[in-house]
Amino acid sequence: MSAGLNLVLVGSAALFAIGAFATVARRSAVVALLGTQFMLVAGGIAFVAFARFGLGAANATAGASMALFAGAIAVAELTVGLAMAVLIYRESRSFGVDADGG
Amino acid sequence: MLLIGALPEPITSAPLVIFIYLLLILMVAGALASVLLRSTLYAIGAFSATMALVGLLYLTIAPFLLFALQLLVFTTISAALLIALLRETAGLRASSVGPFSREWIIGAAVSAVLLAVVAVVVGATSWPVHVCCALPESFGGTLRDTYTVGLAVVIVGLAASALGSGLLLAAPILPSSRGGGSPTDRRRDRPRGAPR
Repeated sequence: MSAGLNLVLVGSAALFAIGAFATVARRSAVVALLGTQFMLVAGGIAFVAFARFGLGAANATAGASMALFAGAIAVAELTVGLAMAVLIYRESRSFGVDADGG
Repeated sequence: MLLIGALPEPITSAPLVIFIYLLLILMVAGALASVLLRSTLYAIGAFSATMALVGLLYLTIAPFLLFALQLLVFTTISAALLIALLRETAGLRASSVGPFSREWIIGAAVSAVLLAVVAVVVGATSWPVHVCCALPESFGGTLRDTYTVGLAVVIVGLAASALGSGLLLAAPILPSSRGGGSPTDRRRDRPRGAPR
């Protein structure tokens, strides 16, 4: 039994799929924002996995640096997105992004 | 010159492999919970737990600095922003029904932060044992030398996000442009005995 590139990439892909589902299928703006966070984090995990187990191991710190940047971008995106969610809530008294206010 | 060398060996230590499997399963379960839960407060809690689990995954396969940043900065700022959003809109009290009250969640968050600080101290000082398994010396050097502009942008972005979340938490709750306000304000402004 071992843990290598395949295992971590499967976890990353699952996280990305959950994030994509939340972004596309859920009506709540907050859940959609969480979905984008999951997708960015999944990308960071893939970078780290390739840096640790894959061809990027020749310069492993570069993969970690990309993951760090992805995390920072996710936080900044969350800041802007939450400000938009507050405005949506003040207008329609819900976080729904559909026309019916879902 | 060889373009492709031998790939690094996968992790074969049984406890570490089991730990990674457990982390990935819990991470996916937490992400699913945060997406599927109807209560926004619980969804935020599940999201923060997932981010902490990602930090633990980084601890096993990435430099220690990335783990510390993920756990202490990204998770904290994200959770603070989301809690501020709830406080500004639907209110924290509305989601306190169920087995986990607001006090429990806050206590768990404080405990998690304290544990994270302990983990950072233990990892940085190698006390009492050397627990960190992936600690390349040059990660800070790579960030400083190769990605100077990116690092500066990250610092500015994180500082702006932290400032924004702090201001959002500290700001008074403003009424809606359509005459709304938070549920707490509406309950307070309603005359005593008036129909809901």
